[in-house]
Amino acid sequence: MRSFRLLLCCGLLLGLTAFAAFAAASDDCLACHSDSATVGKAFAINPAIFDTTVHAQLGCPSCHTSVGAGHPDDGLPPSKASCQECHAEVAKEYAASSHHQNAACSDCHNPHQVRGPTEVSGADMNRTCSGCHELAAMATTHTTWLPQADLHIGMLPCISCHTASKENVITLYIIKRPAAARFGRFELAGYNELKALASHGKIEGLIDGNEDNYISLAELRLFNSDQERTGLRLQGMMTPETVTHNFQILANRRDCSFCHASGPAARQTSYLSLATSDGSYRRLPVERGAVLDALYGTPDFYMVGSTRSTALNYIGAVIIAGGLVVPIGHGTLRFLTRRNRANKED
Amino acid sequence: MNSQHRVYLQPTPVRIWHWLNAFGIVTLIVTGVQIRFPEYVVIFASYKSAIMLHNTAGLVVAASFSLWFFYYSFIARNMLKTYVPNEDELRHGILRQAKFYLLTYFLGWPNPHHPTPENKFNPMQKSAYLAIMFVLVPLVSLTGLLLTNVEPLRNLIILIGGLKILVGVHFLLACCLCAFLFTHVYLATLGHTAFAYIKPMWTGWEEEPETEQNAHDEPVSNHR
Ligand code: HEC
Ligand code: HEC
Ligand code: HEC
Ligand code: HEC
Ligand code: HEC
Ligand code: HEC
Ligand code: HEC
Repeated sequence: MRSFRLLLCCGLLLGLTAFAAFAAASDDCLACHSDSATVGKAFAINPAIFDTTVHAQLGCPSCHTSVGAGHPDDGLPPSKASCQECHAEVAKEYAASSHHQNAACSDCHNPHQVRGPTEVSGADMNRTCSGCHELAAMATTHTTWLPQADLHIGMLPCISCHTASKENVITLYIIKRPAAARFGRFELAGYNELKALASHGKIEGLIDGNEDNYISLAELRLFNSDQERTGLRLQGMMTPETVTHNFQILANRRDCSFCHASGPAARQTSYLSLATSDGSYRRLPVERGAVLDALYGTPDFYMVGSTRSTALNYIGAVIIAGGLVVPIGHGTLRFLTRRNRANKED
Repeated sequence: MNSQHRVYLQPTPVRIWHWLNAFGIVTLIVTGVQIRFPEYVVIFASYKSAIMLHNTAGLVVAASFSLWFFYYSFIARNMLKTYVPNEDELRHGILRQAKFYLLTYFLGWPNPHHPTPENKFNPMQKSAYLAIMFVLVPLVSLTGLLLTNVEPLRNLIILIGGLKILVGVHFLLACCLCAFLFTHVYLATLGHTAFAYIKPMWTGWEEEPETEQNAHDEPVSNHR
């Protein structure tokens, strides 16, 4: 893949002309293909999404190298590149997994809507699986060994357990109740919903008050204590930073300590992930350790064993110490005055 | 021994309940410590077994609490009398009892409270048990039930203020129970012998050295 990137750079260096030509070619194609009335729903491509993907920089002809001069009237289907031409490493890795018999690249990815793992929501990641593995059904099959499987499936992408994807972080998403559903389930808030709430039209401003593209604990607390007014909450998910494609059942994911027993040290890093106008997500780094804040950092995210608050630990210790005052204090005096009682009892 | 006076203080259901609770609460504390501090405290082989045991013990204690509540309110029908201090107890009883624990006990004076089946707790005990049984245990059980059903009860949890608040409350209440446990066990050894108060919780019968106030020698049965 690296060599490919090099090639890409060389390509870029060799001349913007070539690139402009690709872009122009894309525009040519999109003149018809952005309009489902012209090409039909199955062949329509949403340029608002496609243009923001890295694949757009390649241009349509990179992947559809041979498009007949008479297209579409010639009836010859244009060629379609296979992913492994450019993603040899991923393809090799995936081929080694038995899951490659079950699903092809394009069953999980739309080549015209590709996103990096940090540009999609955790829910999006699971949507790639839910077409074949219905989430509610998965929650049921996983309960046989996983307590609160519904919670786990909701707060974890399947790939964090079913691939060796690495570097798990806590990603926070803004959620809201669908309008008019007072007791409905909270759902991810879309870009337009958030934009309507943001004062200057910048949805970052909803949390990032000082617009420094960094979410401090103070900003998080402010956001969370304001949710009576805004109706917005934060949902936390544990998401992987790097994704691998060796789909399998990993024995160590049955061991809860893989996630739960690492202690707070492993849960320091978190991000806020905001919906963008093109349907992807943009991340802002969050102050280290915010997930461990006692109450208002992330009111709805708590992983037993790893996101405990130190402040609460101290309060708890004081309470328990209070309980020890009586046995120790009274016990000492009792020992010192034992003669008094011995006399009385005889 | 012949000057001993015996009272049938703890009827069988209460004793079963007490020891079930004791066993349950100790299990909850031990597993709870591992669940919160897994990288320091490993008592049970796997984290999962600690969680499963904790959940089970929690259900047992919640169930035994309900049993207790049911027993006192519908069978024994003396819940209020047993657990709610009356006006006199609030005004003078607590002070008298506190004076005993803090001063006259050390001088070797007798306990001013003489347990009878219909009034088995001294005023301080009553106040403490009132707080424990009507506030701490129900709250810790309820928060625990919510924590074992986060997704189905999400709306309720949000109403409370969030998972973090729920966890915090659960943890601090558990610490209070733990603190109470130390005090409770210690105070249980303050009888005229170290086991004088502990034995009746096992056998039902409390033996008290005869004092001028205790006239009746007949064991009093509790069923009324
Ligand atoms: C004049 C409008 C038009 C333009 C310009 C156009 N297409 Fe198409 N294209 C169509 C239509 C209509 C179809 C559907 C043809 C069919 O039903 O078989 C189609 C089908 C396709 C298909 C799917 C073929 C299949 O059967 O799976 C591909 C791939 C494709 N076009 C690529 C391109 C590319 C790449 C370009 C730009 C170089 C392009 N098209 C330019 C109208 C257009
Ligand atoms: C990175 C490679 C890549 C680029 C860039 C690309 N495509 Fe495709 N396209 C594919 C692949 C692969 C398929 C086959 C997908 C499948 O098998 O489902 C495909 C399928 C299609 C289809 C058939 C309908 C469908 O979605 O399966 C159309 C139409 C199409 N492409 C048009 C375009 C147009 C127009 C552009 C430029 C705007 C474009 N493609 C850019 C890889 C690409
Ligand atoms: C012509 C080469 C080419 C083909 C064919 C191709 N890709 Fe890519 N793809 C790229 C490049 C270049 C990138 C950006 C650099 C990278 O991530 O490797 C990329 C990135 C991606 C990304 C990550 C997007 C991001 O924003 O990080 C995904 C997912 C992806 N491709 C999926 C596919 C799938 C699925 C196919 C087959 C349907 C495919 N690609 C076919 C060249 C290609
Ligand atoms: C079973 C579903 C599934 C299949 C099959 C699959 N992927 Fe993915 N892939 C994912 C998920 C989930 C992600 C992470 C979310 C995202 O980036 O879309 C991902 C991410 C990627 C990325 C981005 C990785 C990065 O670090 O930027 C690339 C590139 C990619 N896949 C290529 C492929 C290729 C090539 C194939 C076929 C050989 C393939 N995928 C097959 C599910 C799948
Ligand atoms: C195109 C359909 C399809 C998609 C999409 C898909 N799978 Fe599968 N998957 C299958 C089939 C078919 C099987 C084999 C039957 C079964 O176990 O359900 C399977 C099996 C599995 C297994 C069991 C493997 C084993 O060794 O027994 C896992 C784990 C799995 N999939 C995970 C995923 C994840 C995670 C995703 C999303 C990133 C995903 N799948 C997306 C079709 C799919
Ligand atoms: C906490 C980690 C974890 C998460 C999250 C998780 N799985 Fe699993 N999954 C496992 C383990 C471990 C097994 C093996 C269970 C066994 O041996 O009985 C398994 C088994 C499976 C199987 C095969 C057995 C079956 O139940 O059909 C499939 C398919 C599967 N998972 C798909 C998924 C999908 C899809 C998701 C996301 C919706 C998901 N898993 C989320 C850990 C996880
Ligand atoms: C891949 C990581 C992972 C694995 C493996 C895992 N969990 Fe979790 N667990 C999580 C996440 C993430 C949450 C959700 C936290 C939230 O949303 O508040 C969670 C939540 C929980 C909760 C609810 C805690 C609470 O207070 O809200 C319990 C209980 C739990 N897990 C127990 C287990 C047990 C038991 C196992 C092993 C059978 C296990 N988990 C395996 C990641 C994991």
